[in-house]
Amino acid sequence: MSSTHTRAEVQDYLDRMRAALADLPDVEISEIMDDAGAHVVEVADELGEDFSAEALTTRLGTPEAYAHELRVAAGYPPAASVAAVAVPEKPVFAARFAFWALVAGTAAAFGMGIGGRDGFPLALLVAVFVVWAIILLNRKAELIGQVGDLPETAAVRSALEQAEQGQAAKAIAYLKSLQPAWWLARAVLIAISGLVLDGMSPVFLIGLALAGLALVSGPKAKEDRRWLWVSLPAGAFAAGVLLYILGSVIPNGGYSRSSQDYIPSRPSLPNNIYVFDQQGRPLTDVYLYDEDGQPIVTTFYGCGRPGPDYRDRDDNRYPRPRVDYSDNGRCEEITGVPFAVAVPARPSSPSASPSGSASASVDPSGSVAPPPSGSSAPPTVPTSK
Amino acid sequence: MDTSQLLKGVLDLAVLAVLRTEDGYGYDVLRRLRAGGLDEVGDASVYGTLRRLYNAGLLTSYVVPSEEGPHRKYYSLNEPGRQRLAESGRTWRSFAHTLDDLLGVVA
Repeated sequence: MSSTHTRAEVQDYLDRMRAALADLPDVEISEIMDDAGAHVVEVADELGEDFSAEALTTRLGTPEAYAHELRVAAGYPPAASVAAVAVPEKPVFAARFAFWALVAGTAAAFGMGIGGRDGFPLALLVAVFVVWAIILLNRKAELIGQVGDLPETAAVRSALEQAEQGQAAKAIAYLKSLQPAWWLARAVLIAISGLVLDGMSPVFLIGLALAGLALVSGPKAKEDRRWLWVSLPAGAFAAGVLLYILGSVIPNGGYSRSSQDYIPSRPSLPNNIYVFDQQGRPLTDVYLYDEDGQPIVTTFYGCGRPGPDYRDRDDNRYPRPRVDYSDNGRCEEITGVPFAVAVPARPSSPSASPSGSASASVDPSGSVAPPPSGSSAPPTVPTSK
Repeated sequence: MDTSQLLKGVLDLAVLAVLRTEDGYGYDVLRRLRAGGLDEVGDASVYGTLRRLYNAGLLTSYVVPSEEGPHRKYYSLNEPGRQRLAESGRTWRSFAHTLDDLLGVVA
């Protein structure tokens, strides 16, 4: 049923879906595309004669919407690029970009601070968002007013006003009185982080300049709102650095460091694993466990009928059979090990010398513990099977 | 009342339930849910839920060749999955019971 024409459109749908998931780990993407990709193909086939790209979208939604729904249900973090893709409304587009660039720049700055050394690449993101927004704001004087009129700005403003009148009013007033001290502290934190990152170097000098800028931006932002685009990211970065320092001082001050921590992914494994002993003999029926004693399981590829054939198998037993299609198209599971290996000779094996057993048990320097009584037992003849 | 909001909370349980007696691939699961009366369940939500349950160690998966069309990845309940199904089932029953009682007062 699926002609080449429909295949191209299905492929296009799948490509867009994959693009919308691109920030997830590769293993996860390929598993999703195995599942959901097959689903899209099946739906396309069901549409039969009525198939068209529009019909597919009517049935499943856009690939982006499909990917979004899947992300939410799977508990993945939302796509990183959502904030950057602003709604293209002409009059407020620039204002909206400036607002969200402030949000994204602040968030990235916080991530950069809390990430410690690993957070450094985020500097680029911060720089792009913040610098771009500042350039825009300085080129068009009326822009800052438009930002103030945005519904999102109004929401933030009313939330702040409510907080100031609410139960936390006293605490907020107290925090406000500490503001000048915080401006100073964050400038110091920024300067220090430049020093820690790269010693006395250009990075440190840049850090020092930014620290000065941050110091000025606090009081300035009270009069000229455009300084917020410096002040907020600077504050977020300093807060992140502070948390990072606290986190490394206080043991187990755990917080998730990267977005990938959200995903309880199983360890990624090759499709199959072959194990050989010291003599290069293949081992079969090996059970694998991770460091926590959890079985290491992967998707099983087999020929059986779905259902009981696969129920309650030991999914951590390796090697797995290989699936092969003979000439008449029949599926076959082939067990055994398809290759032999030459196991590298170990440079010095304590149990290698046949007369070593007596001295090894006495010699205190022989810290390596060979399998006990290895040399006293009669040499075993390799028995395959 | 918008059932899609309710569904979000119990989709895990529903997916585990339709896999209890028979393994299924994604589309199977979707069809069983719809046939069972959950018409509003979204395609992508089901696939996402399957991934989450698998990553949580409640399902195992295997791939079976299919005569017509692409190979299919089946999902199967394992022991932790069956345990979770039993627990969540109990939670749901007691919750539904509580709400029934409350509604009894209102109605």
